[in-house]
Amino acid sequence: MKKQTAAHNLSGRELDFGTLRTIWAYSRGRRRAASQCFRVMLMLAAAPSLAVTGCRKPADSAQDISINESIAPRPVHTGTEAISFQLTNAMHQPVTGAHIQVEGDMSHPGMAPMFADAVEVSPGVYKTPLNFNMGGDWVVLFHITLSDGRKLERQMNVKGVESN
Amino acid sequence: MTEPAALSSAAKQERLVDEEEEFLEAQPFDLLAVPVIGPLLRWRHSRTLLQIPLLAISIVMIFEGLLGPTLSPKNMATVLTWVHFRGALVVAILCAGNLFCLSCPFMLVRNFMRKWIHPRFAWPRRLRNKWIPIALFVAVLFSYELFGLWASPWLTAWVILGYFAAVLIVDGLFTHGTFCKYVCPIGQFNFVASTVSPLEVAVRDHEVCDGCATRDCIRGRREPSSPLVILQRGCELALFQPDKVGNMDCTFCLDCVHACPHDNVGILGRLPAGELMSDPHRSGIGRFSRRNDIAALALVFCFGALMNAFGMVSPVYTVENWLERTLHFQNQAGVLAILFTAVIVVEPVLLLGLAAWITRAWAGVKNSWLGVTVRYAYALSPLGFGMWLAHYGYHFFTGLYTIVPVTQNALAEIGWPILGQPQWTLVGLPKTVVEPIEFGFLLLGLAGSMLVAWRLAQDDSEKHPMRAFAPWGVLCVILFLCCAWLMTQPMDMRATMLAG
Ligand code: SF4
Ligand code: SF4
Repeated sequence: MKKQTAAHNLSGRELDFGTLRTIWAYSRGRRRAASQCFRVMLMLAAAPSLAVTGCRKPADSAQDISINESIAPRPVHTGTEAISFQLTNAMHQPVTGAHIQVEGDMSHPGMAPMFADAVEVSPGVYKTPLNFNMGGDWVVLFHITLSDGRKLERQMNVKGVESN
Repeated sequence: MTEPAALSSAAKQERLVDEEEEFLEAQPFDLLAVPVIGPLLRWRHSRTLLQIPLLAISIVMIFEGLLGPTLSPKNMATVLTWVHFRGALVVAILCAGNLFCLSCPFMLVRNFMRKWIHPRFAWPRRLRNKWIPIALFVAVLFSYELFGLWASPWLTAWVILGYFAAVLIVDGLFTHGTFCKYVCPIGQFNFVASTVSPLEVAVRDHEVCDGCATRDCIRGRREPSSPLVILQRGCELALFQPDKVGNMDCTFCLDCVHACPHDNVGILGRLPAGELMSDPHRSGIGRFSRRNDIAALALVFCFGALMNAFGMVSPVYTVENWLERTLHFQNQAGVLAILFTAVIVVEPVLLLGLAAWITRAWAGVKNSWLGVTVRYAYALSPLGFGMWLAHYGYHFFTGLYTIVPVTQNALAEIGWPILGQPQWTLVGLPKTVVEPIEFGFLLLGLAGSMLVAWRLAQDDSEKHPMRAFAPWGVLCVILFLCCAWLMTQPMDMRATMLAG
């Protein structure tokens, strides 16, 4: 059976000097181990914060594509609303023939995401209805597959969708 | 053997069987006597066995929160914390008891640390109450609304990390279960909620305790030849089993079960909320009626449930906008502070104060105004728990399966998609199923609170129990209607720090 020292069950005020000295001597080796343990813990604690700055996902393969999205009417209300957006390349030319799936997520986890496929209504301009089925902050994700097969993802925050 | 002797022996045997049956009938249900579960829990390392998976999940959550998707519904840290953990916690408390504290991962890390670092200080006497955890509990609720913690995996991960740090610092410096008893806001939530649980760690036979010389359940089992060496820790929360009443302050750690040399501690069945119906002296606590801090905790628990749900529905923005216009105030933290003060401080003081005044004036209860208020404050715990259950249960059941796609996604992100591509359409039970369950929880809470208030009123006024009860019954109904109204409001969850 594993043994513990009595220091576990003694309050600070109950410890006399002799007991303390015994415990101090008894735990000399352990203190060394403890300081090592603390160093490891510090490193472990620092690792995530270092990693958070250095370990982001690699940028997507179509950085030249930009998206100009809009949603009407404002303020957005619960129910189905129209989202339109324009895809352009670095030369400000419309990007045509893309397949775009639009996904609406609540800011709160555990809610059903809403999906819709956008249609191209004019060169480079896409449109889709999306059902905002509850009030609050939404995030709309555009999952885009370009005609040349490259994939990219863009995000639009729709804050404060108002309940009807 | 002669015939009469044989008969008498048969009669004796029959009587013995009858007595045994009677005894068994009188014995409450004991979880430790259940096959498989009982032996498992009696095993000395059962707690560690339960803590290890939760610690592993916590570590994964921290890394996923810091490094994973920034969008809350796609991140394991936020999904597990704000959907599954909270929901499973309240459902476990309803069905069994304080199982989260039993399997608390923070305590596993703390126990590991205490192998090397032995705390030297006693928690200051003046702080041996619930005021610090009450302040922390309110701070958590406030930050949750202000920073939209549910919407930020990064902040959620730091909350978990902060918790680990706080446990290590407090219990690295102070002896016994200081963090659990005097600091941990989750623990206090669990303590109040588990007053309505059906199970309790309690002695099986008080007569055995009467003849017990060692009291190992609180002192710890010590090496006979060297009493300074502890073989099995006793109760760190200062609950002495024979005098322990109810679940308040009990972490279900089972140290007392392992320490008792007479195998006299079990996990026994009981009447949920029964411990609130009387006011005996409780080991490590005293009388509830003399603990203003625990009464305040019960009130924060109840009205905090209302505030937490109110922050998630549309009318809160109408009220906030009105406050901003009326007070010419643009500071969101300030507006939220006013709302919190109104719901968690002003509302209970007014409602309970009025009910206590009526009880004294109408039923002739002799106790002081504050005394009556404190005594009946505990009666609101079941209703508060009903509201937490309805709220957290809603997220838990409607988002039950979301753990599947986030796990698939996390594995896919690290280049190991063994569970396939994320099925984001997997969500949970339909609202049409969950909503009646929510109202069931609320009704259960109302029934519990009414029953507790009625039993207290019967004790307070033999002549006019109905008069003593009426104001509290009305208060319970008013609060129930508020809860029911909140549950019917359209959800509207806005986070100020939307994941980008
Ligand atoms: S619970 Fe066990 S150790 Fe504690 S007083 Fe009773 S018999 Fe003794
Ligand atoms: S009474 Fe104390 S030792 Fe026993 S389970 Fe509760 S907290 Fe643990």
